[in-house]
Amino acid sequence: MANILATLSFSSVFSGVVQGIIVGGVLAFITAQILGRTKVKKINGWFTMYGCGVPGNGMLLRAACYQIFPGPVNVPQEAMYWTTSVDGAGNYIMHFPPGGLPPNDAFWSLTMSDAKNDFVANPINRYIVSDRSGLAQNSDGSTDIYLQNTAPSGHESNWLPAPTGKFILWLRVYVPGAAILDGSYHVPPVTKVQ
Amino acid sequence: MNRLILKYAYPLTFAILAVLAWVVYRRFSAGGSVLITFAVVAAIAWGLGTFLFIYFWPRIVLRAYMRAILVQGLDEGPIPVNTLYTQPQALFADPFASLPPRSSKLLSYGTNRDTLYTFGVLDLSKGPQVLHVPDMAGRYYSVQFTDPSDGTDFAYVGKRTTGTQAGNHLIIGPGWQGAVPQGMKQISSPNNSVLVIGRVLVESDSDLPTAYGLAKQIQLTPLSH
Repeated sequence: MANILATLSFSSVFSGVVQGIIVGGVLAFITAQILGRTKVKKINGWFTMYGCGVPGNGMLLRAACYQIFPGPVNVPQEAMYWTTSVDGAGNYIMHFPPGGLPPNDAFWSLTMSDAKNDFVANPINRYIVSDRSGLAQNSDGSTDIYLQNTAPSGHESNWLPAPTGKFILWLRVYVPGAAILDGSYHVPPVTKVQ
Repeated sequence: MNRLILKYAYPLTFAILAVLAWVVYRRFSAGGSVLITFAVVAAIAWGLGTFLFIYFWPRIVLRAYMRAILVQGLDEGPIPVNTLYTQPQALFADPFASLPPRSSKLLSYGTNRDTLYTFGVLDLSKGPQVLHVPDMAGRYYSVQFTDPSDGTDFAYVGKRTTGTQAGNHLIIGPGWQGAVPQGMKQISSPNNSVLVIGRVLVESDSDLPTAYGLAKQIQLTPLSH
């Protein structure tokens, strides 16, 4: 690209116009992405977006949704999605207080993937934990999910195997409850176990 | 190609910006009336371009998605227009299953172990299509109808919106005149081109064949007569 531009003169009007279009176009591409990111909400380290897919939701929000999701995205009433990335190296936990699992009328799931968004091979062939996983509750009614590379002894039922390095989590809640739709429900943070 | 761009997004952006900074620097060094031409054109392209990128972003993404369906397909080649194709059980059962080289990576993007996917693109310009859904017996499922011109979902069939009993839904394009056959519910599309995405919940590994059997019964037929 530098060669192409270098061969263009810096004195003719034509080259000024061509270079102006290229410079302006690239700045426009970057500006569109930066503006789109303003629609992303971040709470407790989790990124999400409200209002995707809803007719009449506004041009910038529509663009923002399709910058994050590479295909047809659900309306919030059908499904909400959160994602976060964790630097890895260590053991992590998600602590849901009593009654604090994601409210829904269909299902929820937490999916583990590596830094390339691929599944993580593991000895127990477990790639997600969900409302169908038979998660054990703590004695106070809270629920812990263990995100680590080796099995947490005594808590195998709540183990979501992680790679040794960086990983990405996706939380899906289908037909989310009112507390999610009105924004009052917050997904708990992923915290490092000391 | 897309993967490479994503992988090196930051160094690429940096390299492009460095080249642009150099051009701008040379422009200012050269000075003269062409500098004004350059600055004015760049400012217009920046403003107008930002608007155009934002306006067309959903359309560009969904055009690529529709191409993935119609040209590449998921496992068994292209998925013809006005037909639905359900993700094969083997692909769902084995998260490390290798896809045939020509199949679309876009359609299998995102790690999902919850629902079987069904894909299709509708062309309603030659007449309405009838979507048939089987009795899902209380199981969660949804069929999402997306307008590819702006990426919004104008209708759903599924547990949340229409329940889980069997049914037939008439999908009509803009401007279609005709009577809706008895027993069918009408879905009006704002566009003759429609993206259809179906999702059927898989309860467990042993439930996969049942879920697949149900997902396969979500089907399209043209409205005869």
